[in-house]
Amino acid sequence: MSRLTRKHLLDQTIWQESRTRRSRCRRYLRTLGIGFLLVVAILLTTLFLIKPVAAAARGEVDQASEMRMGDVTRGSLLFKTSKTGVFLPAPILKTDVDMRISGMIVRAVVSQEFKNQTNEWLEGIYVFPLPENAAVDHLRMRIGERVIEGKIKERAEAKRIYEQAKRAGKKASLIEQERPNMFTNSVANIGPHETIIVEIEYQQTLRYDQGDFRLRFPLAITPRYIPGKPIQHKERISQFSGTGWAQNTDEVADASRVTPPVHVGEGKVNPVSMHIELDAGFPLQKLKSSYHQINSTHHGTGKKTITLAAGRVPADHDFELVWTPGVGQAPRAALFTEKKQDGLYHFMMVLPPEPAEQAKQSLPREVIYIIDTSGSMAGTSIEQAKRALLMALDRLRPQDRFNVIQFNSYTDQVFANAMMANPQKLSTARNYVNRLQANGGTEMVPALEAALNHTEEGNYVRQIVFLTDGSVGNEARLFDLINNQLRSRRLFTVGIGSAPNSYFMKKAAQHGRGTFTYISDVREVQEKMHALFSKLEAPVMSNLQLEFDDDTDTEVWPKRLPDLYAGEPVVFAVKGGAHTQQLTLRGQRGQEQWRVTVPLLGGQADNGVGAVWARSKIEALMDSLHDGADKNAVRKQVINVALLHHLVSKYTSLVAVDVTPSRPQHESLKSRNVANNLPKGQQHEKIFGQLAHTATPAQMHFIVGMMCLVLLMMIGLSSRGLRRATH
Amino acid sequence: MPRIKIISVITLLAIASWQFGEGAYIHLKAQLAQYLLQQSWQLTLHGQRQVKPWPWADTWPVARLQMPERDIDLIVLAGDTGRTLAFGPGHRFGTADIGALGSAMISAHRDTHFAFLRHIGKGDTLTVQTDDGQTHDYRIIHIEIIDSRNARLPSADDRSLLTLVTCYPFDTIVPGGPLRFVIVADKTEVTRSPKVGEII
Repeated sequence: MSRLTRKHLLDQTIWQESRTRRSRCRRYLRTLGIGFLLVVAILLTTLFLIKPVAAAARGEVDQASEMRMGDVTRGSLLFKTSKTGVFLPAPILKTDVDMRISGMIVRAVVSQEFKNQTNEWLEGIYVFPLPENAAVDHLRMRIGERVIEGKIKERAEAKRIYEQAKRAGKKASLIEQERPNMFTNSVANIGPHETIIVEIEYQQTLRYDQGDFRLRFPLAITPRYIPGKPIQHKERISQFSGTGWAQNTDEVADASRVTPPVHVGEGKVNPVSMHIELDAGFPLQKLKSSYHQINSTHHGTGKKTITLAAGRVPADHDFELVWTPGVGQAPRAALFTEKKQDGLYHFMMVLPPEPAEQAKQSLPREVIYIIDTSGSMAGTSIEQAKRALLMALDRLRPQDRFNVIQFNSYTDQVFANAMMANPQKLSTARNYVNRLQANGGTEMVPALEAALNHTEEGNYVRQIVFLTDGSVGNEARLFDLINNQLRSRRLFTVGIGSAPNSYFMKKAAQHGRGTFTYISDVREVQEKMHALFSKLEAPVMSNLQLEFDDDTDTEVWPKRLPDLYAGEPVVFAVKGGAHTQQLTLRGQRGQEQWRVTVPLLGGQADNGVGAVWARSKIEALMDSLHDGADKNAVRKQVINVALLHHLVSKYTSLVAVDVTPSRPQHESLKSRNVANNLPKGQQHEKIFGQLAHTATPAQMHFIVGMMCLVLLMMIGLSSRGLRRATH
Repeated sequence: MPRIKIISVITLLAIASWQFGEGAYIHLKAQLAQYLLQQSWQLTLHGQRQVKPWPWADTWPVARLQMPERDIDLIVLAGDTGRTLAFGPGHRFGTADIGALGSAMISAHRDTHFAFLRHIGKGDTLTVQTDDGQTHDYRIIHIEIIDSRNARLPSADDRSLLTLVTCYPFDTIVPGGPLRFVIVADKTEVTRSPKVGEII
């Protein structure tokens, strides 16, 4: 062996020795590491995962708890399932809507077909929506070939007649008004496997705003939130007890009547068809249905027939038809006249000229935004509202002031007071809006108070923009609040969601001397908000006065004409005017005076103008209640005009009764509620409550962590074993 | 050591520490928040309303729930969103005010604040202090396991009920099941107002 090889061997041995030492060291470290990890894992696991078991091991606790689990009952009566209602065999409902539109006046027939598929005699109770300015004047009950006309009666009397017929086994139908946009149809004695069709007819005027005519027909009711404390049973008046899911409260005395059951479970109920004959009176530039696919056929200038493309759709979101006059064809004024036995009736629309571009408000604005984050807003609605609000914030100028208020069961605001719209404050507000979640109740009073209580310092145009679905039962209380505390402010409502409460939107804006708009799809946020901005930013037309050259025997409603925002016309209804040649309208917009004279002659003849006039009168009378008018006097006046014009109102109902009894006396009658669909995009559990998620993923984390450690150990052990095997 | 082994060891270590961290964080947050909440509760008792325990909080204390024999002392928060329940039991919006007539619902996590519910039985008592400083005694009258998909709050017009809700079973590993463990307590007649100068 040469020196060299020996040297080499020696070197190798030394090297090998050092390598074994090093690897021993490394093995040592690894074992240490694994040991450490194990200790940590065991510590953590005992700390958190095994805590209850450890606690149990300490004493008799576990035994006791095992025993006490015997207290637990399954499915007792205490917790009623919300689904029980579905299994009650209510009559099956189908709706057909037929409309004839002539200029600005709509005549509509809503046919509700109740089909009893059971072997029992049923009474169907259906709470349904109609436009908030619908003048319901006819009721027809169709039983096979026979038709029974409804009669208008005072509400209590109509109810009595209906109850009597019901007991006697006669078929009967009763239409009662719960809110101007919510009615109840009760149909008694629908025989086994029988079908009854109830036709409800109404008259309505259209909204003409910013160059578009708009027809909105509500097809769903967003479940109303009922604030207040429940009224005790003993105080409940049996006559008023309804069939809804809510109890009457001190704030909403008729809560049980305005909370119809909501359909839960598979599919949708109440398929609806629409058939509209439109005679616009001018060539059309555009006709579109905002939320439904339609088929339309052309019959001549401005004449169309419109039906739903799908034939029937479930009634779960509002229908809206919008049409625009051709360029240069937009009407500046319109007059509709009806000659009745008791005289002439007119409905008039006059559109003032657009505000000049330079007249755009230079005064800084103070805008308080209120956003509804209650449970009914959850789903698509809150997204629409947030998008709209963010757009509104972007629109503010540095000289403007603003604040953002959100409310559900509680009210919260970004700033204690209105702040200058500087980038820093705006970014705070944007972050706040982005984080908003919809959940909980709809306690509107504190939110409105918070907005109305902002101090009125500095020279600002003060506005409140209220984004909500308006789904509350205490509308009247809110109108009072707005009326009493508005001061120099103006309130604008933005109706959000697929079925906003149109009555609330319109009336809150009216009492707030502002105006209203709707956003029912996230795609229309841009367009609708721009329209709203143009109203918020342009000077308002105020001090509107109406003068007749001869006002003998004339009665005009509304008495006080509301202020007009950009693109809005003056509308009013006149009774009489046989001696009137012409009338003059005056108004003021900023420094600019407006005056126009129009003849009260040669109006388009229309059969529904009388009903429109009576409906405006009833509306004005009901409004006067918020200005402190005497309740009894108003009631009497409303009943008078409603009975005369055959109109359903808060105090009058339509009732139709069959002549001969059909239900044998030995058969009993079951009363059933017809359910409404939950409006599209809304979440049942957010409105009616879903229990919170009450488990954390902590255990899962610990177990995954443990599994990783076990794997690590296995790798460690296997590599050690592997090395030992190779040596 | 082959490269793949090193990578898997590092990954596993990372996942393990992340998972343990997450788990521990949930428990730490649950316990730490209760300490912070005590202070806001004291301010609430002194008449302030909606006292946010930390500036960015979207909730505030509404009541204090105690069960002295089980060493339970919890500050109940407004609302029962996931964000709120991480810090304490939550009073559900829209249910009756705690202590008032009607049915109030409080939810909390089964593995943190409401882990003790599994040891509770009918007839046990608990104490609730409301923001006006009054203390109300409740007796447990009903325990039930329900399916949250078709459950409703018990209705009560003429008495004051407290419904405590947590997830069931208590020790499933994956969260999010539909079952809930529900305890209903009825207010006993006694309502105590704090004596002047008494430390609450």
